[in-house]
Amino acid sequence: MVVAGRQKSVAFFIALGIGLISVIILLYVGWVLLNWRTGILLFLGVILLTMIIGGIVLNTIFLVREIRLNAQHDAFINAVTHELKTPIASIRLYLETLQTRAVDETKRREFYRIMLEDCERLLATIEQVLRTGRIGASARKRNLTEIDFAGVVEKSVERVRALHRVPAESLEYRPGPPVRMVGDPEEVQAAVSNLLDNAVKYSGKDVHVKVETERVNGRYVALRVTDRGPGIPKRELKRIFKRFYRVPGTLALRVKGTGLGLYIVGSVAKRHGGRAWAESEGPGHGSTFVLQLPIVK
Amino acid sequence: MSRILVVEDEQHLAEGLRFNLEAERHDVQVVDTGEAALELLQPDAAPFDVVILDVMLPGMDGFAVMSEMRRAGQFVPTLMLTARGHPEDVLRGFEAGADDYLTKPFELAILIARIRGLLRRRDWLRASVNHAAAPRESSDTFIFGDKSVHFDRLELRVRDQTFPLTLMEANVLRYLIAHEDKTVSRKALLEDVWGLHEDTDTRAIDNFIVRLRRYIEEDPTRPRHLRTVRGVGYRFVASPAEA
Repeated sequence: MVVAGRQKSVAFFIALGIGLISVIILLYVGWVLLNWRTGILLFLGVILLTMIIGGIVLNTIFLVREIRLNAQHDAFINAVTHELKTPIASIRLYLETLQTRAVDETKRREFYRIMLEDCERLLATIEQVLRTGRIGASARKRNLTEIDFAGVVEKSVERVRALHRVPAESLEYRPGPPVRMVGDPEEVQAAVSNLLDNAVKYSGKDVHVKVETERVNGRYVALRVTDRGPGIPKRELKRIFKRFYRVPGTLALRVKGTGLGLYIVGSVAKRHGGRAWAESEGPGHGSTFVLQLPIVK
Repeated sequence: MSRILVVEDEQHLAEGLRFNLEAERHDVQVVDTGEAALELLQPDAAPFDVVILDVMLPGMDGFAVMSEMRRAGQFVPTLMLTARGHPEDVLRGFEAGADDYLTKPFELAILIARIRGLLRRRDWLRASVNHAAAPRESSDTFIFGDKSVHFDRLELRVRDQTFPLTLMEANVLRYLIAHEDKTVSRKALLEDVWGLHEDTDTRAIDNFIVRLRRYIEEDPTRPRHLRTVRGVGYRFVASPAEA
């Protein structure tokens, strides 16, 4: 319902832009036909006309972009609402159960474990949102130190294995040469974790994720995370790094998320003088995410 | 002992619900997609007494599942459960055919009470159906013209045709009949039937009315019983003067 309304307003603004431009051109052609003898006026007119048309085009592009961003923002609010309320609903349900019913010892322990997992999930969502806010505030001073990159990756691999309960052979890690880099350890850790988390999350039930680090040209270290998940259409490869963006379709419904993870990865890479990108042969062929960061020699 | 189907893809919630409903001595089955739920709700499968349906499901969402169930003639009492608490969402759920709606996070006691309410309604329904083996009009029936509304059975009979009603449709009809010949505003309907107090888009009500008209009006485009009062709401007229 809402989406249809947005598409309508996008179409309206584009039509308005095109309409205005054609009116201007029509008026101008008429004006030229009347005044073609006065050369200097004609020259000024051409410049003025170009400026006006340029303005309208810019304005239309800007409006359409805003409308799209707004739609993504709404989807984001929906996703975050879900991501915040679901674990709270679960924790509350288990607490009320423990409060009102007789629960035997083994069940009780299981309930505690479930509640702790829900707390973790809640915390992860909150961290993600807060981190996005911090990255957005560019003036923030960063805590730059020397980082053992391989160590960070190893820690993240272990954390993700424990979190999603995947065995070591499903989330395979091949350590590369030890490398050191300068950066904000918290941010780098978050970026690496997000990539690993995504790879496992989007793999579904059958997880085969390969994690490798390698040196590139002696100046960079690249972390390659390869999964055999659903893959990504070519035209989405860049967009998925945008804030709030999620690939439209049923997949985004199936895999829950806020649309912030890859944005954080991309921003962290950029802030450290590196870059992040995705490679995929298309839907059904899995995908590889690469995080490339400069190292200290 | 009642059979309850829980359609929920969040495993933690589903297991928590299962534990509690089993503690209430119900027979619980959990599925994590709408498609699986529809499979289990086929007419030839063992019937369920209550369905608890989540909205944010992978694939087909809860609203679609709800509509599909009702379209296929599956009228099992259904409670929708969701994180989306906007009045628009609540109304959309009822419009799709839900009998009750609860937003996450919910209170366990309230959820249990509502499920009991749905089961009780179902038991009454069964009792009255058994009772009606001998064709006797029960007290909870309203007759107008050649049509009759059987609130206890959630049915609307027009001559020899019978239409099943959802609880909400029955409630809307009951409310309008209780205010026979008086104009009822959309806002009053929202507040008294749905219990919603916020400024809500009231158009969802119009969809209910459209559906009810399809049952009871000879010509739904020129309603005689369920009249629109422009800019205000609706008026129910039991015996319209012949025009």
